[in-house]
Amino acid sequence: MTMILLVFGIGLSTGILSGLLGIGGGVVLVPMMVFLLGIAQHTAQGISMLVIIPTSIVSVWYFYKEKLINYQAAAYMAGGAALGALISANFVQAVPASALKRIFGIFVILIGFRMIWATRKKDEDI
Amino acid sequence: MSERLKFAGAGFGVGILSGLLGVGGGIFIVPIMVTYFNITQHIAQATSMAIVIPTAFISSIIYGFHGNIDVNVALNLIVGSMVGASIGVRIMKKVPAIRLKQLFAILLIMVGVRMILT
Repeated sequence: MTMILLVFGIGLSTGILSGLLGIGGGVVLVPMMVFLLGIAQHTAQGISMLVIIPTSIVSVWYFYKEKLINYQAAAYMAGGAALGALISANFVQAVPASALKRIFGIFVILIGFRMIWATRKKDEDI
Repeated sequence: MSERLKFAGAGFGVGILSGLLGVGGGIFIVPIMVTYFNITQHIAQATSMAIVIPTAFISSIIYGFHGNIDVNVALNLIVGSMVGASIGVRIMKKVPAIRLKQLFAILLIMVGVRMILT
């Protein structure tokens, strides 16, 4: 029972974050499964992908009703992304992922700080 | 270059990256839409969710073939995350774009740190 509640709680917090920030939620779901539930990394990633589908359908249904979706961007980016994911999924073993991850980690952090900096300046304008 | 081609090209790059780095596309898609396509934060986030569905669908099939999905845990998580998502989207609608950007930026920094450490 406690286990079911814990898993439900993990799902709930992932869903809230996903709906709030427009992300799949794998970023928080995978580490929580690994650290709190003791699930192996690779299995956690597989589960995460499956969980993301119904979660995003709930969000998309709401955003559709609220008219918040840019359909042209969604269709063309989704097409490109699906093709890119298929290609990289089949060649991912050939690339030294850890070095690449570090480089992009720094890049992602820089984007984050740039975003915060940009909103700070707007705060001053208001 | 037409807008459609740019969208498809950006999507392609995101797809390659997310496959290589093992992170979802959302953390790249939202900043790209806001910065390069001048789409508002709310619409970028909502559109990102629509893009995530087919990508996750393809990945699930690939993982499923390799036998890497625990269905019981997945179903339990799905119940929680569907309830969570319906709460999250309602909060999102009420949060001003500037706050969403700040929250998103914090998420990016956390993801970046995790990418460096793992």
